[in-house]
Amino acid sequence: MRINTADVAALERGVSLLGSGGGGDTLTAAVLLRQRLAAGRSVSVTSVSALDGRAWVVPVGVIGATAVFAEKLPGGHEFRTAVAAIRRWTARPVDAVMSIEVGGLNGLMPLVVAGDLGLSTVDADLSGRGLPRLDQLSVAAVGRGLAPAALAEPSGQVLVLAEGTSADVERAARAFLTGAGGWAVLALAPIQVSQLAECAVIGSVSGALELGRRALTVGPEPDLDELATAVGGRLLAAGRILEVTWRAGPAQHGRTGFGRGSLTLREHRAGTLLRLEMENEYLLAVSDGVPVASTPDVLVVLDRRTGVPISCDVVRPGIEVAVLQLPAPVFWTDPARLPVVWPRAFGVDCDPVLLGAPG
Amino acid sequence: MSASVRRLLSLPDWAREVRVLAGADGLDREVSLVRAVLGPAPRHPAVAGELVVLVGEMFLGDWRLDALLRRVADAGGAGVLVSGEPPLGSRLLGDRLELPLLAGTADPLDLLTEARLLLAAPDLDGARVVMAAHRAFGDRLSPPDAVVTGLGELLRAPVALLDDNGDLLAGDADGLGLVRVHEPVPQRIELPDGLLLAHPAIPPGTSRPELWLTVGLHGSAAARAEVVPPALVVAADAVQRWLLAQRLELERDARSRAALLGDLLRLDGEPTAELRRRAADAGWRLGGWHVGFRIGARATVDTVARGQEVIRSLGGHGVDATVVEHGDGWTAWVTFGQEPTAERVQELAARLRAAHRELRARVGTHMGVGRPHPRPAGLAATLAEATDAARLAATRPETGHFLHVDQLGMAQLLLEWTRTDTFEPAARTLLAPLAGLPGDLVRTLAAYLDAESSIAETAAVLGVHRNTVAARIGRVEQLLAVDLHQRDERLALHLACRTVILAEG
Repeated sequence: MRINTADVAALERGVSLLGSGGGGDTLTAAVLLRQRLAAGRSVSVTSVSALDGRAWVVPVGVIGATAVFAEKLPGGHEFRTAVAAIRRWTARPVDAVMSIEVGGLNGLMPLVVAGDLGLSTVDADLSGRGLPRLDQLSVAAVGRGLAPAALAEPSGQVLVLAEGTSADVERAARAFLTGAGGWAVLALAPIQVSQLAECAVIGSVSGALELGRRALTVGPEPDLDELATAVGGRLLAAGRILEVTWRAGPAQHGRTGFGRGSLTLREHRAGTLLRLEMENEYLLAVSDGVPVASTPDVLVVLDRRTGVPISCDVVRPGIEVAVLQLPAPVFWTDPARLPVVWPRAFGVDCDPVLLGAPG
Repeated sequence: MSASVRRLLSLPDWAREVRVLAGADGLDREVSLVRAVLGPAPRHPAVAGELVVLVGEMFLGDWRLDALLRRVADAGGAGVLVSGEPPLGSRLLGDRLELPLLAGTADPLDLLTEARLLLAAPDLDGARVVMAAHRAFGDRLSPPDAVVTGLGELLRAPVALLDDNGDLLAGDADGLGLVRVHEPVPQRIELPDGLLLAHPAIPPGTSRPELWLTVGLHGSAAARAEVVPPALVVAADAVQRWLLAQRLELERDARSRAALLGDLLRLDGEPTAELRRRAADAGWRLGGWHVGFRIGARATVDTVARGQEVIRSLGGHGVDATVVEHGDGWTAWVTFGQEPTAERVQELAARLRAAHRELRARVGTHMGVGRPHPRPAGLAATLAEATDAARLAATRPETGHFLHVDQLGMAQLLLEWTRTDTFEPAARTLLAPLAGLPGDLVRTLAAYLDAESSIAETAAVLGVHRNTVAARIGRVEQLLAVDLHQRDERLALHLACRTVILAEG
């Protein structure tokens, strides 16, 4: 499936919706993608079924402070370095790349860099949405583990984490990021195509594109119910944000956790108070004190006028927004995997409240 | 017991330390339970009337505070008290749910304690009053007057003791006439400014209350309506116990007095030394002049229980008499040192008449009074006269069922003596031929003899024609084979008529 310049807007909208308020700013990645297309580069996404089952795919992505990514632009070598490092360490061939996380900027970056590396991009990822921690990636959730993993940061440092649990990898990567200037590129050990079905979310890039297209067909100043129907979700509320608060979140693995935030909006129609609990992503929606939606369903806050998703780090009081709930990737609704991404995995003491689930 | 949130906020510590952050529209919610909850545990089961006091380390920006507000509101709870400042969203939710969200600056457990004491106050007050009532009345016999005084001091409220007619015996005449004395159950009567509680004292084995205890609760004291009844029950039990003990005493006393009286009445000649001693022990003066009187009552009247009432009625009219329960009524007498003058006897009779009028209204008695007679033998004589007079009084509503032998005249007493077991059958036999015949011959004959054998007068009394009277008298003479001009026959028939008519009532 070729990606044209005309598709970039829909893909960007799709991945930012799936970011659920997180996943990083897609603007820079979209600019880079348009740049490649403008330079005549062919960008395509290859479906898993079209690949040889024996081909090897390297999951790649940008991790760390994605806000810094927009300021401290990539030098261009980071992806090449990280992929080379993991290839050298594992002594496997690399035939294609895939995204570690379709939600947010990592939904676009593999498309940008695949051409640079002379590889194709596989229509799959390891999250199916936006997720904040490496140990929540699908390969960790099914027990494959993350190690070995290679990290390359803009100033040239390269780190290979050869052994360790998923939690160890997450912890070590965060420690590395602190000393490395905010962000780095991650490349995980190559996965054979035949195994993707059991350890990755298949079809997520084309899914994001389709989602973005549908969202855009409703047009600017969308009718919210129509928009919710178009994207296969549910409108939770539309109203003005009254309050946004942030505080230190629960500690993770002995270090300070991500910041924990809450926002409250008043629904225009009924006066209902909708509260969203958030970290890097929107995690839980509470309507008049009753939980009504939660991770792993995708909770999206949209600018009510433009329909553009608003991420957790920029949401502020006074703006008019709509809150949508999109169904979780099927991968995560498996009861064995759900605990990796349900509210308690984020320190939110609440049972999951999902679309299509009883209760 | 419950109190509104607003009431809690008026408690001293709460007024000083607690602010209403949100949900002011719900301040009239009723609080029946104040519970400490350690953090907003998601599965804390909220219940109606509950005010949750959040204790322990807790971040008030936690979404679970919202969830708690909602759970408490859904369960019909009364509010949530926190320490600190919850975010705007939670305050807005409190307003939206109209559920008071309160912020306390004092230790939440101190606030909780103060609130709980308020809620428990009626129970504590009730327990205190019952304990005090038990201490005061529980372990010893107190006369009802003392119980009334003690209970009044205990409750700081007007307490009264009423008899079975609702008349005041002791205490403050608070709700006189309001107690429904014929309903032997605890009563709660609305007063314009409060409440009157009444509790019957019912001696065992009877269904009629003998006495009533009442407590008036006026103004703010009406709030103690749930506190007072248990103490009232304790006091009523004390009264009941006293009645019972009193009753035992009276029964014992009544039996010995009745026996002593019987011995005196059977006395033939001077009393023995032993009899004199028994009379002296009973406080009876056998010497001097006695005026006896007899108070008759229906067989259903409990003469032992009512004896005190009789003495009280007589005493109320200045008559200091010896009263003995005797048969269906009371036999009593007044003893004078010297022969009483006619004026003194008249005065005594007037007092007795007044006392009897009062007694009759309650107990339905009849009274006869004898003439003064001296010495022990005279006692029997005056009592015999009184007994006869009382028997006659029973059939004399026109005299208020009261007869004094002095006014009675001996003739009437003589007549009364005809009502004996031997005379009455003889009288019936004499008049038997007239029975069942047309013309009401017995009554016509009686009226004719009463009218001194005047046909005209008899006709006027009976309202018939005098020829009818003449014809009936003729038939009577014929049927009885008597001559009404014979004075002996006339007298015998006159007595017989009276006896039969009296007996037929």
